[in-house]
Amino acid sequence: MMSVDEKKMSAQTEQGMPATLGNFKWNDLPDENKWADCVHCGMCLEACPTYQETGEEHQSPRGRVYLIKAVAEGKIDVNEAFSKPIFDGLDCRACETACPASVQVGGLIEEARGQIRQAMPLKGISGAVSKTVLKGFFPHPSRMHKLGGLMKLYQKSGIQKLARKTGLLNILPTHLKDMEAILPEVGKPVLGRYPEVVPAEGERKGRVALLTGCVMDVMFSDVNEATIRVLTHNGYDVHLPKNQRCCGALHIHAGDRETGKALAKQNIEAFKEFDKVLVNAAGCGAALQEYDELFRNDPEMLPLAKAFSEKVEDISKFLYENGFKRPKVEVKTRITYHDACHLAHAQGVRFEPRQLLKEIPGVELVELPDADRCCGSAGIYNLTHPDMAGRLLERKIDDIPENVEMITMGNPGCMLQIAMGVKKYGRSEKVVHTVQLLDWAYEKEKKEAENLVNT
Amino acid sequence: MFGKKSRKQPKDPLVRKLMDIVGENEVLYLKEDLVAYECDGFTMSKGMPRAVAFVHNAEEVSQIVKLLNREKVPYIARGAGTGLSGGATPLGGEVIISMVRMKRLLHVDLENRKAVVEPGFVNLKLTQSISDRGYYYAPDPSSQYACTIGGNVAENAGGAHCLKYGVTTNHILGLEVVLPNGEIVEIGEEGIPDRPGYDLIGLLTGSEGTLGIITKITCKVLKNPQGKKTVLAYFDEINDASQAVSDIISAGIIPAALEMMDQTAIHGVESGAHPVGHPRDIAAFLLIEVDGIEAGIDDQMNEIVEVCKKNHVREVKVAQSEAERELWWANRKTGFSAMGAISPDYLVQDGVIPRTRLPEVLTKIGEISKKYNLRIANIFHAGDGNLHPLVLYDARVPGEAERAAKAGSECLKVCADAGGSITGEHGVGIEKKEEMRFIFTDEEIEAQTNIRAVFNPEDLLNPGKLFPEPGRCVEVKRAKAQ
Repeated sequence: MMSVDEKKMSAQTEQGMPATLGNFKWNDLPDENKWADCVHCGMCLEACPTYQETGEEHQSPRGRVYLIKAVAEGKIDVNEAFSKPIFDGLDCRACETACPASVQVGGLIEEARGQIRQAMPLKGISGAVSKTVLKGFFPHPSRMHKLGGLMKLYQKSGIQKLARKTGLLNILPTHLKDMEAILPEVGKPVLGRYPEVVPAEGERKGRVALLTGCVMDVMFSDVNEATIRVLTHNGYDVHLPKNQRCCGALHIHAGDRETGKALAKQNIEAFKEFDKVLVNAAGCGAALQEYDELFRNDPEMLPLAKAFSEKVEDISKFLYENGFKRPKVEVKTRITYHDACHLAHAQGVRFEPRQLLKEIPGVELVELPDADRCCGSAGIYNLTHPDMAGRLLERKIDDIPENVEMITMGNPGCMLQIAMGVKKYGRSEKVVHTVQLLDWAYEKEKKEAENLVNT
Repeated sequence: MFGKKSRKQPKDPLVRKLMDIVGENEVLYLKEDLVAYECDGFTMSKGMPRAVAFVHNAEEVSQIVKLLNREKVPYIARGAGTGLSGGATPLGGEVIISMVRMKRLLHVDLENRKAVVEPGFVNLKLTQSISDRGYYYAPDPSSQYACTIGGNVAENAGGAHCLKYGVTTNHILGLEVVLPNGEIVEIGEEGIPDRPGYDLIGLLTGSEGTLGIITKITCKVLKNPQGKKTVLAYFDEINDASQAVSDIISAGIIPAALEMMDQTAIHGVESGAHPVGHPRDIAAFLLIEVDGIEAGIDDQMNEIVEVCKKNHVREVKVAQSEAERELWWANRKTGFSAMGAISPDYLVQDGVIPRTRLPEVLTKIGEISKKYNLRIANIFHAGDGNLHPLVLYDARVPGEAERAAKAGSECLKVCADAGGSITGEHGVGIEKKEEMRFIFTDEEIEAQTNIRAVFNPEDLLNPGKLFPEPGRCVEVKRAKAQ
């Protein structure tokens, strides 16, 4: 581990960049221009879930930007008290939608977190958790898959049943118990199991690469399977480069920008031969699209990162813009749609997923009030801030319209969180990914066509 | 507060006393938390508060006020902090009483066209809560997405539609107020307007938080107009646009809103989050809305279009859908904030002038811009002669903030000299207190501080706001003489 002074030195060595900025003294300094755009008008206040809940100025986007600026001006130090509101933010980006001057609040907060983690490395339990989970598991697909395997063992072997029956789970904090209760039945990850290229069905329209994701592939491999089926059905060869890695979003959110950058470099390399990189997890998609922000202070990587980020697209947007095959059979269901923050606010994708769903015959889409307010999942926020995450989840569940059968969305974190809410508040809605519904429609169509042939 | 609890115990005994009243988690006292409360939407003046206390009811406010009176500590009530004149900004050492957790809609009585809200209730939420039943709350400051009705009352906030419907004071039927001695009083009970005696609601509304702390508000709500039409008119000459404004009003038409934006401002909003696609080369546009009973609207609109044509308008277009209308308004209402996209900082002024003087005042503002070598964008409520020159500057450049402040002050002088006023709706606060001299004599200022002294004799409630310092010297001298 480097001492503080050594870190200052390493900051100085970075090409052409100032060594310090007020009390920000560590590598990869925050971007002054990001707060220069903020005129302190307060239009973001009511868009921010943590401000809505607390009414505290420093827990608002404007307040957080102001605090970051105050550190840069030398008014306050990088310490526990500064760190708290900066890490209490969900990184949901609702403020960026609300901001009339397009201030990049999310990116700025991530940069400030990078400073905090270098200034105050995590210690104790949170340090250990961060090390084992974020550093020990996510960057290593094989370990993630083994974790998935263990979970599968837990579920299939009867240990889960036993644990639930004996009350063994009561030793867990409530929010972890709630989470355990909804763990989806773990399938087998797609990456490594599927061939590296899954060929198009019928007429070939082109080729795309797919980021399989970590949580998505371990917890929701069925969504990945559905995504591949939907894409091949639409005439695309789907490439699953084996050397792809975790997108690094969770690390960047947590202030570990170095691991984030290491992962980003591997992904840029892994996908370099493709023109289109598709993502079905909003959080990952946003992170990949912001690799250029991550390498802001690295002139060598910046052009590569920029070129890569431009290739990345959410699956729903890609399908809609490329004239996806309209399903011909009816899927009679009433659904609602939840905007994942990193899809709506970070990527500006709102219309396309709704339209995909509406164009499935028989699907009735009932709008969810305040659909783009964070559900509280926010990466690992529901683990680090169970109380606030729980409050936001309760509001989200309260808003779910009556008489819908399914809640659709485009992000695995939200899927886990909302499924937890459905269970906790005794609701019955099924939580599904947007492409899953489309996949069902296609599958039903295929089956009916087969039946027709057979009869 | 949420997340992990801070282990540090407050050293300041006053903080502990505040905690005894409102609860441990309802007081902020760490420097890092307080720094966010250094200023409101006016960023030129800053001061550190001593603590921030979140209140939940009038009783808590009363107890805090009594405590602070005993301790001789000054205090400020604060809503969302979106004000543009520093009304909620500490000078240093004040306790901020934050009203934002008092944010309930208490009662809606549409039969009697009124609603009762707590002061922290957000302006736009009132309209959103009653719009499905065909009603709305008229005062619509551009910050209505976030600002609180309590703050609107304190500042007597205006908005784009105040031309026809009046400012906040025209929409308040009753108030519950904690006076600076801690007493809780109701003014205008049962929401009956025009009770005999002095117009205390009128006095309190716009008192900029110097006479009392508002804890409950009865607002008037209006039925949605039957019809509405919105047009955009693009002009090649700013004088033509100004003349059109004057001609529309003198033709006897009262539009619901009559807004103007000049070229610099247009560049700002087109670089912001809600671009409309205004031509970049026009000198100014007018955004005009008429509303009322369906029958007369088209006639009014035709008359307005004729006036614009007479004044050499380049193009007039009518909003074709509600979505288009909303975009035009979002573009306008986020206008100030969008300046962030073309300038790191701005100072917004709030002068009022007789409409007929628009062309000459705008020319003079152009000269001020040249003199100080600072861009000045103009976004304003042209219909009621309420100008908002936005002086664009970069606080990081040494001396530029000072230059901006001087330029702003000169803009106000021009307005005052044209027979107008230094503020239409943003309040005086810290920003314009010296400029009060442009329109009031020392005696007139003293007459007003005497009224303040009736309510707020120790001047502990929001000190140093609204009136210039020497006004206070007069008081001090007199106190000594006595």
